[in-house]
Amino acid sequence: MAASARAQVISLYRVMLTESKKFPSYNFRTYAVRRVRDAFRANRTVEDPKAVERLMVEGQQTLELIKRQVTIGKMYETQKNVVED
Amino acid sequence: MAARVLQQCVRTLARPSLRLSTGSLAVRAAVAPSAFVHRPLSFSADSRRTRWLVPTRIPSVGVLCRQYGDLPPLTLETIKERVMYVLKLYDKINPEKLDTCSHFMKDLGLDSLDQVEIIMAMEDEFGFEIPDAEAEKLMSPEEIVQYIADKKDVYE
Repeated sequence: MAASARAQVISLYRVMLTESKKFPSYNFRTYAVRRVRDAFRANRTVEDPKAVERLMVEGQQTLELIKRQVTIGKMYETQKNVVED
Repeated sequence: MAARVLQQCVRTLARPSLRLSTGSLAVRAAVAPSAFVHRPLSFSADSRRTRWLVPTRIPSVGVLCRQYGDLPPLTLETIKERVMYVLKLYDKINPEKLDTCSHFMKDLGLDSLDQVEIIMAMEDEFGFEIPDAEAEKLMSPEEIVQYIADKKDVYE
C-alpha cells in the first residue's frame, strides 16, 4: 500500500473510533467501536489500490452515518445502563 | 342589562383565578415540608464537600495547598507509571514482555492499528489530543513519556 493511502487509512481509523466513542447509548457505542476495529482488521491485507479506494469510500460513508446517529442518539438520551456505572 | 352581563363576565373571570390562587397556596404548603425534609440532606452533602477540601500536604511541594478537582502535579515518574498502567491493560500486550524501551511493532508484535489505539488510550488518560503527525512517531513507552512530559511542561 502506498504511504499516502496508508496515512489516510490510519487517520480514518482514528476518526471513526473517536466518533464511535461519542454514542451516548452503551450498546450502540460498544457495537460501533467493535465493528470499526473488526472491519479494519478484516481488511488489513488488502493491497489492490482500487479495492483500498472502494473501502475508503465505504468507510467515509460509514463515518457520516456514525456522526448522524450520534447526533440523533443525543436527542433521545436515556438512563445509563447498569454496566456503565 | 349590560351591567348584568358585565358583572357575570367579571365573576367568571374572577373564579378561576381565585381557584388558581388557592391551588398555589396548597402547592406551597405541600412543598414547604418537603424542602424542610431535604435540608438535612443538603447539609450532609455540604459537610462531605468540606471534608474533600481539607488541605492536604503534597510531599513534592511541601506546602499546604487545597486540591479541588485537580490531580497532584505530574512528575516524570507518575507519567511513566500511568503510561505503563494503560499499556498493561491493553489486551494485546503481554505485561511480562513489556518494558519501558520496548518497540511496539518490533518487540511486542503490534501493528499500526494497535499503535493508533494505544495513542488514543493515552489521550483519554492524560486528557489532551495528540496530532496524527506526532502520534505515528511514538513507538515505545519511553517516547510517549517523553512526549507527554514535553507537552505538560514537566522537567526533572
